[in-house]
Parts: sequence; structure tokens; C-alpha cells
Amino acid sequence: MGKHEIRLRRQRMSARGSDRYRNYNAVLKQHGNEKRFKQITRIFTFLLLIALIVIIFMAITRWEKKQPSKPQTKTNSTAVVT
Amino acid sequence: MSEDEIRKEEQIIERSKKDPHAFGELYEKYFDRIFNYILRQTDDEELAGDLCSQTFVNALHNINRYEFRGFPFSAWLYKIAGNEVNKHYRKNKGNKIFSIEELKVRELVEQAAEEWDEEMITRLLRYMNELPTDMIQVLELRFFEDKDFKEIAFILDMTESGAKMRTYRALDKLRTNFNLKVKYDG
Repeated sequence: MGKHEIRLRRQRMSARGSDRYRNYNAVLKQHGNEKRFKQITRIFTFLLLIALIVIIFMAITRWEKKQPSKPQTKTNSTAVVT
Repeated sequence: MSEDEIRKEEQIIERSKKDPHAFGELYEKYFDRIFNYILRQTDDEELAGDLCSQTFVNALHNINRYEFRGFPFSAWLYKIAGNEVNKHYRKNKGNKIFSIEELKVRELVEQAAEEWDEEMITRLLRYMNELPTDMIQVLELRFFEDKDFKEIAFILDMTESGAKMRTYRALDKLRTNFNLKVKYDG
């Protein structure tokens, strides 16, 4: 636990004092904005992830195409003569 | 809190999960308490106002995850408020402030042998400055917010016995150092 400082307040906080900061509509608005922002971020991340997967897939396909085709190895067939 | 009140709150919470406007009733009910709790830990009205709003916004974000666990709904709000305050201090790297009302200190400590004067208050503040922060947090919730140990443990993420032990230790020191009788109902 960190350090702290104790201060003494002579006056009691009045209800009127806190009323200046009481605003439920602002809280609702902020909640809505943050919720929307979260949704957009989630969708963006999802799209980004899909794009990344597609890019990786394309890169692998291209790499596979670029690979020189392997010469077919001749298999020695041996006839079994009975 | 009576059974009826708890049931009424639960109904509001259930409604709030579907319609955030319903949460307004709980906002109005607990705003002053949460604001004063934060103000006591910041000593800055503007900041307390901002953190208080953020507390209720966070509560609204997470209301779907709220489950009744035997504590009043306010304990959950206190916990969120405490987290917001801690986040603020972590971000700004400042010392935590506890702003205590003189009237409350007088209520807390019943004078025994010594005269209650300015010097006594200064000595008491100096003593409280030297106590560990977690001890001050427990004392604050116990005596300024009237919370029981079970609730304190939930708010501060500690065990009930841990909360009790910290309070006993702090009060013991207070009794020995100041020869004071402290109202304490265990």
C-alpha cells in the first residue's frame, strides 16, 4: 500500500454541493456512447482478424504456387518373376 | 436494509438490465453517498463529480453481470467507486488523500481524559498519517460509511477477519496513544 495524506475538512459537504454534479441524463449519454464505441471496436477487431486470416491464407497459397514443382521420382519397378 | 427494500432494489436492477432508464432510481438513491465516499478520498469536488459519474457509467455497463450475493447493492457501487479512485491515483501517481470531516472525527472519538483541542486534532491527524493506507480505508468504511465487516471485506477485496484485524489494530493504537475511548460495537 502506498503513502497517503490525511486532511481535515471543517465544513460538512452539503447536499446542494453534490447536486451540481448530479446528472443522470449525462450518465445515460456517456453509457450510450461508450457502449457504441465498444461495439464499433469489437466489430473492427473482428473484421481485422478476418482480414488477417485472409491475408495469411493468400500468402500461403501464393508461396505454395511459387515453389518449384518437384521432379517426379522414378520408381524402380521390379518384376517379380516366379 | 429491510427485506422489502432489498426486494424492491432487485426489481429495479432487473428492470435496469433491460432499460437503463430504470437505473435512474438507484442513481438518485445512492448518488450522495458515493459522491461523498469519493470526495473523502480525493478532496476535490470536480474530480469527485467526474469519478462518481464514471462509477455509475461502469455500474450501468456491468449491470447484466450483477448478482445478489447477500450484500446490499450499494456495496457493489462502493467497490466500483473504490476501483475508480485507485485507477485515478495509479494514473496520476500521487499520494492518496483522505479528507475527513472534523465533525465526524468528533463523533468517532469520545473524549475520555484529555481535553479535545486543536493540538489533539493535529496529533490525531499525524497519527493517522502514519497508519498504513489499507488500515485507513477500513476505518473509513467502518466509521464514516457505517459498513459492517462483511461488506467492508467485499468492497476492499479482503477477508472478513482481515478487515476486523486491521480495525482492531488501528483502534488499539488509538486507545493507547491518545487515551481515548472509541465507540466500537465490534
